[in-house]
Amino acid sequence: LFQGVRQAQWLTKTKLVEGLPPPVLSIIDNPAHHPEDHEEGVKRAISHARLWDTTEVAPRREHYCPVLFEDLMHLCRLMSVKYPSLTKRMLARNYKISATWERESILLQVRGLNGILMNSMAPIPPVASKEEILATEEHVLETFYPISPTIDLQEVNVYKELNDTGKSSFRDGYPYSHPHTLFFLESANVRPNRFRPEQLRAKMLMFAFGNALAKAKVLYGNDPKVLEQPIVVQSVGTDGQLFQFMVFQLNTTDLVSSDGIKNLVWIDSDQNLYEKAQCIPEVKKRVVTKPAGIYGFQPDTFKKFLALYLHGTV
Amino acid sequence: MAASRGRRLLWHGRCWFSQTESGVPPQPPDSLYPPIVASATAKSKAAKRRRLEHFNQRVHAAASIEEKLRLYGQLQRPKYMLYPQTFALNADRWYRSFTKTVFVPGLPPRAAAAAAKAPGAVAPEAAETPAGVAPEAAKAPEPGTAAPEAAKSPELAAAAAPCLDMGELRSLACDALLQESFYQNKKRPFLYRDQDHTPGPFLTQLVSTLAAFLCGRNPLLAASSLDLKPQVNYYWHHGEEVVVHGHRKGRVDPVRFQIDDNPHLQIRVPKQLPEIVPLESDLGDVPVIDHKPSKLPLFKKQYENKVYIGSKVADPCCYGHTQFHLIPDKLKREKFVRANLEDQIEVVYRANGIASLFAWTAAQAMYQGFWNEADVTRPFVSQAVVTDGKYFAFFCYQLNTLALTVETIQNNPRKNICWGTDSKPLYDVVEDGSVKGFNDEVLLQLVRFLLNRPKEL
Repeated sequence: LFQGVRQAQWLTKTKLVEGLPPPVLSIIDNPAHHPEDHEEGVKRAISHARLWDTTEVAPRREHYCPVLFEDLMHLCRLMSVKYPSLTKRMLARNYKISATWERESILLQVRGLNGILMNSMAPIPPVASKEEILATEEHVLETFYPISPTIDLQEVNVYKELNDTGKSSFRDGYPYSHPHTLFFLESANVRPNRFRPEQLRAKMLMFAFGNALAKAKVLYGNDPKVLEQPIVVQSVGTDGQLFQFMVFQLNTTDLVSSDGIKNLVWIDSDQNLYEKAQCIPEVKKRVVTKPAGIYGFQPDTFKKFLALYLHGTV
Repeated sequence: MAASRGRRLLWHGRCWFSQTESGVPPQPPDSLYPPIVASATAKSKAAKRRRLEHFNQRVHAAASIEEKLRLYGQLQRPKYMLYPQTFALNADRWYRSFTKTVFVPGLPPRAAAAAAKAPGAVAPEAAETPAGVAPEAAKAPEPGTAAPEAAKSPELAAAAAPCLDMGELRSLACDALLQESFYQNKKRPFLYRDQDHTPGPFLTQLVSTLAAFLCGRNPLLAASSLDLKPQVNYYWHHGEEVVVHGHRKGRVDPVRFQIDDNPHLQIRVPKQLPEIVPLESDLGDVPVIDHKPSKLPLFKKQYENKVYIGSKVADPCCYGHTQFHLIPDKLKREKFVRANLEDQIEVVYRANGIASLFAWTAAQAMYQGFWNEADVTRPFVSQAVVTDGKYFAFFCYQLNTLALTVETIQNNPRKNICWGTDSKPLYDVVEDGSVKGFNDEVLLQLVRFLLNRPKEL
């Protein structure tokens, strides 16, 4: 997407709020959720993914990015000792999403085999209050005239409007029916093959919107309307070092016009989990200047990851 | 003339010298002449022995484990590649002879004793415990809540342990199975890649959710590391052969083996699992095979000699807990049935269990500094589950000795031991959103494997 998040905002009729929403921040600030050995566990996970997990000298990104993700998920899942309802979650890999909507007489569709979805039995409660939702009515969506909002989108003849995740991705009666969090791993080795942070955030927004819209159509039908019970879908994107966190709340499925209530998205972007991972010690003039290891570890990023994981059950 | 006179003078001088020498007790001339040893470069057996000793000393004196491993696998020569998942007939007998392993059918008694405390026995145990403990024992069936602190009496511990909610575990397993096979709409499986389509993700999902669910009971799991599709490698020598062709023809060489394994999933832990039987126990015989290993069939190749447990030496989780192996499409049960080889189905599971676990435990032992000249001082124990998605077989391995080379195996009475079960189905069939014929026994055995931990935890 050319303009990145701004374009995605226009396409999904969304208002952007910087930082994470208050319920998630309160989970982060709650010390009961962060035992001390968590930090040790996270450092071990990073070292394992970046330094130790290969017979070669240094693992490549398409190897260490998924390994880091799996290790962090393992750490988060261990919290289910304290919160038994965390076991009511299921990870779905390689799953397909498709959702269609109309935006000012342009038919748009999100489709793809994207990332990893975590489903839960219970939906996440809405994070924005009623007043905030109503306040979005006055917000005006940014347009970038003269650039058309559909720039860089692929025009495709769609013959069948495949709509909901229920139909195309999961069958009816699936007990874990609420999409909880989407995970995107940018793990291509070569930099041009990876999405830049701005584009990654736009992709996260589009797919989170697609999932929420599909769920809304399953729950409330295909008519465009304002939702009484907004649907919240979270999204985490990473390339192995930088993390992007996003919480998306779908308030309305009435997307044809640009007025009225908008959807909300909270984005916390470009969080570094660590600064540098030194695989081989740096030696200058026969003296070791920088021994091997992880430098610049920031525990806050993992706290946010964990908070997004725990959101909805705590 | 002058020369002969000089020689006579010298001879007299030497005589005189030796006469005075006999009066004094002979001192060991340690600084006068260097010790007389065999040559290091000659083509002789003594020289070969000296070179071997020098190599052993170098490895013994290596500064770090990485250096030791590097020296151990430095010399590259053609070696047999052992595949844990193989179609060879009666491969498990051959693998047992290569690794000096005794196979004991069934699981070790310690695991069975833990089973006796399983939920099936809650009622009689609650009856046995004294009245003061009865209220806690009555609350025990609730999952995880009523765990009396610091087991004051063995009865308390026995009553607290079996509050495993089988319903909960069964629903977790069924949910994972249903999601992968029924609910999630996936494309059709790629040709001959059925195992990656459904059983692979099911196994990953099942193990990760079970491990998270059980980590409250087993603190070792809380500190564990879960690897997806790791590599496990081990290189060793066993037996002798004569080089057949090439510029080294006629020389006597050790037979070299290498296992390069890729388990589907493995759990590594920072503390070692306890030993099952003492180090010197003898539970059976190791089969002796008179043929060359290449008759199995096994083929030779020369490449890097790797020893690797799943992560490098610096990782704190350096001991193994459980491995999970997925049988590939080539070795499906239906293929064996069609080829009239039903008895070889179990052989596949056994060979996989023995070879993979030997490689893993031996690599763990090498990471601690042991090798075939410095044999292990404590047994290394690991577990494995081999499955094809529906049928599960459980294996337990205790490594008692690494000394398998010709020189070290002569006076070595120790044998490695492998316990294993036959493969049993977890469920009968999945249809219409429900699992028919779910087998609790298999799930219980899996849970017991995951709950295995050292006694002090």
